[in-house]
Amino acid sequence: MSYFAGIDIGSTMTKVVILEDGILASVIGPTGPEQRRLANQVMEEALRRSRLPFQAITYVVATGYGRINVPFADKQLTEITCHAKAVSSLFPKAKILIDIGGQDVKAIRIDPTGKVVDFVMNDKCAAGSGRFIEVICDSLGLTLDQASEISLRSEHPVALSSICTIWAQQEVASRLAEGAAVADLLAGVHRSLAERISTMVRRLKVEEEIVVTGGGGKNRGLLKALSEQLGYEVHVPEEPLITGALGAALLGREIAKEAERTKTSLSTRERVLEEIEIL
Amino acid sequence: MAEALKEAKPKKRATATRAAASIGPMVKEFIAGTLRARAEGKQKIAYTFIVCHHEEILRAMDVLPLWTENFAGICGAKRDAERFLQRAESLGLSRSLCTYALCGIGFDQWREELGQMPPDAPWGGQARPDFMISTGQILCDPRSKWYQACQQFMPDVPIYNIDLPYPMFERDRDHREVWGYYHRYIVQQLRGLVAFLEEQTGKKMDYDRLRELVDLTDRTWNLIDETYKLRAAVPCPMGTGDAMNTMVPLCFMMATQTAYDFFLNLKKELEEKIAKGEGEVEQEKYRLMWGGGLPSWYALTDFNYFNSKGASFPVETTYRMVAPLHEMDLPETNDPIEHIAWRWLGYWTFWYDKARKRPDSEPDVERLINWIEEYKIDGIVMHEAFSCRTWHVGLIWQLRQLAKIYKPIPIYVTGRDGKRERIYRELPSLILESDIIDITSYSEVETRNKIDAFIETLESIRANRVT
Repeated sequence: MSYFAGIDIGSTMTKVVILEDGILASVIGPTGPEQRRLANQVMEEALRRSRLPFQAITYVVATGYGRINVPFADKQLTEITCHAKAVSSLFPKAKILIDIGGQDVKAIRIDPTGKVVDFVMNDKCAAGSGRFIEVICDSLGLTLDQASEISLRSEHPVALSSICTIWAQQEVASRLAEGAAVADLLAGVHRSLAERISTMVRRLKVEEEIVVTGGGGKNRGLLKALSEQLGYEVHVPEEPLITGALGAALLGREIAKEAERTKTSLSTRERVLEEIEIL
Repeated sequence: MAEALKEAKPKKRATATRAAASIGPMVKEFIAGTLRARAEGKQKIAYTFIVCHHEEILRAMDVLPLWTENFAGICGAKRDAERFLQRAESLGLSRSLCTYALCGIGFDQWREELGQMPPDAPWGGQARPDFMISTGQILCDPRSKWYQACQQFMPDVPIYNIDLPYPMFERDRDHREVWGYYHRYIVQQLRGLVAFLEEQTGKKMDYDRLRELVDLTDRTWNLIDETYKLRAAVPCPMGTGDAMNTMVPLCFMMATQTAYDFFLNLKKELEEKIAKGEGEVEQEKYRLMWGGGLPSWYALTDFNYFNSKGASFPVETTYRMVAPLHEMDLPETNDPIEHIAWRWLGYWTFWYDKARKRPDSEPDVERLINWIEEYKIDGIVMHEAFSCRTWHVGLIWQLRQLAKIYKPIPIYVTGRDGKRERIYRELPSLILESDIIDITSYSEVETRNKIDAFIETLESIRANRVT
């Protein structure tokens, strides 16, 4: 039996998937400043859950912003390629995928084989990312899950004019002072973010099926607003956070298969999770 | 204060050619030259802009051009533009205006306030001009507004504005039907410039000398065209990174023997590299076109990053400000001013005829298509500099139009019914987002993440491509 691991070090969360025929284990942990150490920790935990020794893993692919900080990875691939692969495997009819992460948002057009055709990224400003909602939730003293559910009760979403995260925070505070309902404010925040994201997605031409991955996929209020903006239903994987890691593991499996087919040796790193000193 | 605002010294970009490596000292020397001229007071200095076809006129009148876009670019490349941008902002100007102009305005205001160069001015600073020659041509509005703003601090420095229009592309109308009218207008504008310079310098134009310089420029144009076309070789001997250096003699030193000799040497160097099979990158995997947008002058090492992934840039639309004169079919004239005007019109309408022949094409798109084929291009990279509105708007449109009318890559796709089908897809493209000199808009990590993803896309398209 062959096993493959994908590790995705994102700006806020680190994710690992161990793949056999299906997902054997997955681990999600917060990304801290010591990414190398964290990579070892989450991999250790994933191996413990899957009851496998590290040597049993045939190939490891790292992705995400911290991909170069994974000392045991056999290959590094961008999260764009990895998300595309995973989404195509989970949703064979998908044409557009939107990865809403903590730090940025990516819209990716994929072909039926899971290859990237085109992509756009919002990486300049927190206004278009999950961070936008986090900041607003912090100022309202709500968790992301609470905010998501409360916003669904809104009947009259508040129109927010500011797209700057900091200014929007101020605008929310002043609307609250004017007596706006929290649900309407949160729905307005989701709508504002959905407008920013759909503007970006339209650069790729909007087409069904649309899949949302990343932390944004867990926010039902945002998904509702996004669906309204794009004019299509949006689909979400069962666990949207691990999509990048899953794609990485799937691509690792493809690489290993290709090496077997072409009878070339698979170049891998030593399967050691070394101790790394804390700074 | 000055030191505190300076960024860390940028890493030097590795060049592929000796010619590109020699550019730094050349630029430094002509900045130094303007400072010497200012100190000696023997030669008049004119602030001015590139791509005005007026170099021969300036040089024939012994006027020293001081290219203000160039100086702003130097500040950007040295990562020392921020303090001048902040100066301009403190005057109430928005950061979203052209940052070349903001940098220049900020610098000039500071210099005029001090009565001397600002502290640690890049390469000695930008000399005070005797007059300013702006241009209200179609390229961009700061090229006329910038100097008007500078006049607030230099009210004694006169401005002369030359207007250089060209006929817009019309699918159903040959531009030659109207270009005679444009020609008469441009000639009038250029003669006005001559009169202004005669008044400012107290000298009369030497038309024999002007004719010689026009001839030298024509020869330099053809030489550059021949030289750059050598880059179509596989592997490509010189990329866009180097072309962002060799644009210096092309844009700032036209009508000089130095520029002609520079390209003669570059041509020889490229021919030698081609004969030896030497490429810009050791193992060329992808050939990319820089399809538009001014570069981020503080991040030219991004070209080296592309190179490290096996990607070379054989051609760019940016700063390719020449076209082969023998293909323009320009009306004959012995008058050098009239010739300059015809050359101007010939350059800007160069792709019109070809664009008319291809359904839905446009001149800028036609140029992309021709060069994709001529230079065997695998993908297009563009740069949306937020403060450069002129480029910004057109780039997105060009890519959309290109994707609509030109699908050169045959691939197999498996449809929902499981059947394999051969289709054609557009060339992949990447839009980088930042600015020309405002480093606060740039993230190296994000930019390189985008480049990595684009290279992976190129790889997967190649794997899917029908052989």
